[in-house]
Amino acid sequence: MDLVVQIMFGVTGLLILGAALMVVSVRNIIHAALWLIACFFGIAMLYLLLHAEFLAIVQVLLYIGAVAVLVLFAVMLTRQIDDPDEPVLFQRWRSTLLIAVLLFAAVLVPTIYTHDWQTFTDPQPTFAGPRELGFAFMNAYLLPFQIAAVLLLAALVGAIIIAMEDQEQRRVRVLTLAEEVALRREREPSPPARSAHPQPTSSSTTPPPVPPAHEQAGEGA
Amino acid sequence: MYDVVDFILNTQLGLNSPDWVVMLISHLIVVAILFAIAPVQVLFLTYYERRAIARMQDRVGPNRVGYEGLLQPIADGVKMFTKEDIVPVSADQRVHLLAPIVTAAPVMYMFAVLPWGPNMIAVDLPTGLLFFFAISSISTVGLLMAGWASNNKFALLGAMRAVAQVVSYEIPALLSLLFAVMLTGSMSLMAIVEAQSGLFISTTDVPNIPDLGLGWFVFTPVGFLAFVCFFIAALAEGERTPFDIPEADSEIVAGYMTEYSGMKFALFYLAQYILNFLLCAITATIFFGGWQGPGIAWLVSQSLSADNPAGNPVYNVLAGMLGTFYLLAKTYAFFFVMVALRGAFPRLRIDQLMNFGWKFLIPLTMINILSAALWIAITRWGTAQGFGIIEFAGEPSNLVRWLIAFAVTLVINVAAYWFLARLNIQDHVARQAALAAGGLAVSPPRSA
Amino acid sequence: MSAVPLEWVLMLASGLFCVGFFGALSRRHAVSMLMGIELMLNAVNINLVAFWRYTQPDEVGGIIFALFVIVVAAAEAAVGLAMAIAIYRTWQTVNVDSVDSLRG
Repeated sequence: MDLVVQIMFGVTGLLILGAALMVVSVRNIIHAALWLIACFFGIAMLYLLLHAEFLAIVQVLLYIGAVAVLVLFAVMLTRQIDDPDEPVLFQRWRSTLLIAVLLFAAVLVPTIYTHDWQTFTDPQPTFAGPRELGFAFMNAYLLPFQIAAVLLLAALVGAIIIAMEDQEQRRVRVLTLAEEVALRREREPSPPARSAHPQPTSSSTTPPPVPPAHEQAGEGA
Repeated sequence: MYDVVDFILNTQLGLNSPDWVVMLISHLIVVAILFAIAPVQVLFLTYYERRAIARMQDRVGPNRVGYEGLLQPIADGVKMFTKEDIVPVSADQRVHLLAPIVTAAPVMYMFAVLPWGPNMIAVDLPTGLLFFFAISSISTVGLLMAGWASNNKFALLGAMRAVAQVVSYEIPALLSLLFAVMLTGSMSLMAIVEAQSGLFISTTDVPNIPDLGLGWFVFTPVGFLAFVCFFIAALAEGERTPFDIPEADSEIVAGYMTEYSGMKFALFYLAQYILNFLLCAITATIFFGGWQGPGIAWLVSQSLSADNPAGNPVYNVLAGMLGTFYLLAKTYAFFFVMVALRGAFPRLRIDQLMNFGWKFLIPLTMINILSAALWIAITRWGTAQGFGIIEFAGEPSNLVRWLIAFAVTLVINVAAYWFLARLNIQDHVARQAALAAGGLAVSPPRSA
Repeated sequence: MSAVPLEWVLMLASGLFCVGFFGALSRRHAVSMLMGIELMLNAVNINLVAFWRYTQPDEVGGIIFALFVIVVAAAEAAVGLAMAIAIYRTWQTVNVDSVDSLRG
């Protein structure tokens, strides 16, 4: 039985670490997001191994069902023409890699193996199900719970305000082709505010934007 | 199932298998049964839908293969199998292959927590309800993968629409189900079903009600509003008309399925029908008592169990069969409602869909949660819980408490519905006025 | 749970943390950086759950902490991705290198 658990742990760990390495190294950003989902799934499996059943389900519901889908969505909304010569990493990635490896090998691993973790030799299998968590949230952790709720509300409002288009540019209906052309011609003489900035070096060759797809249908609401 | 396998392996054959082997074998048997039955009866669902929609449109529908066309789904399956599997040259090959699998596999997992009858459930998870929706949210990833990997703008548009819709409508779906969790104090689907015994009034509220298995949650104002909200949200999650904009065939061909053919297309199709079936089944389970119905309680009381060793095992089988019959009957009834809606309603526009979900359904479900809390307070609490106001005229009986709760929540829910509907209609009128005024790039005037 | 010692879980979590750290600091794409941060947060969560499981299994504090981390991560992802979209709309790029109009 021990061996079964160890094998399961090994497979889960390999999945998590392998997927995480693919996330940071793979070139295609959509593939990176898909590997991120695989990594989240592995972590949910690990939670199950650690008897945190509720947390595993929340992990699947929130990370895979919401955060990862949001990431994929954002990637698709901000698609740029893929330039195969453009590097995916900063120039200083070697020093970053060195820092990360040093952090792992020189700080974390020695700490983990030298510290005496006072573990229970055979911990009682407690069950942290929704009932226990609910009682804890409503008693000992009531204030953090409320603050988390306020934080979520603030994030919701903030995200909407940041990502919302200008009120003037929002359209109440889908335009016909003639109206679209007329509107574009009307906008042409006055260049958009963006070109007042010095053009960024890497993307100076991108053609003047076709109005992004999300502007065309009034889906902002 | 565990007991049966344990009996055969260890007592009959004397193998002395360890605990986990017995558990593994018994679970595998249950899984095999479920996986064998589920796709077959989902195949039947397609036939059911085609015949029903044909009736509504004054056609006959498939009636050639087999008696009255009953074998049509099998013929369709053979056709799917033998079709050429076409992958576009510019598609992302691996993601294109993975997408139908990622879409279809999680849907099968959802069967794990669905109760079919008394004690008939694959795993009675204490977080079953959450599991059901967590797993279903994985398939949205599959839709995005399909839309992106096809390298086709119709597919991408369809996937974007599908995900925006499914993610938005997951919120009202989960919020409307919270009332059942609050009322039963458990997320186990089995416990939710068991709480719905009684006759019009649930036995959890008034214990001395005769148990005919009809104390369904839908008979309370709280449950009724939640049912309406959930069923609408379920239509959106299952991408059914009038919420079928992700695959609106007159606009974007077939949405994310555009570039799929053969078995991969069949997998998407299968996943969609299984999801629809499961959403109907979960509606029946949570609002309409699942396997509860007249006769179940008596059969269970006669059957063999740990409490009742003198019972007859025949009654166990009978109770299971009757429970499964009730569940399937309710499920097919809801599926018929879905088909009827498809025959009756036009498709919504995406902004109408989003407005309806965010501005109407979510506030309504929030108010419903408040009603559910009041329901619990009025039916169960007293001075000890700080709700002494209920005892102003002495200790009320359970029935009186139930009546007060019914009246209070009815008033709150009707008022909330009326208020929100009026707000949304005013908003709609303002939009239409802005549109009629010839506003090209003008947003509607914000009402102060 | 004696089959898997605590140190193994901690090693896994710290490895994941370092991978996420590297990703967050060295990828140019704004969304990729967010993915790295998500990996780091998940590594922290694994730590919290592991310590709950091995040292204080009689309380639910570890799980509660992990849930709060998930809440904060969700809020952070929502705001971060909204910022990525806003940046893309203004600069037509999401390379964080290119967004440097404030450089003196």
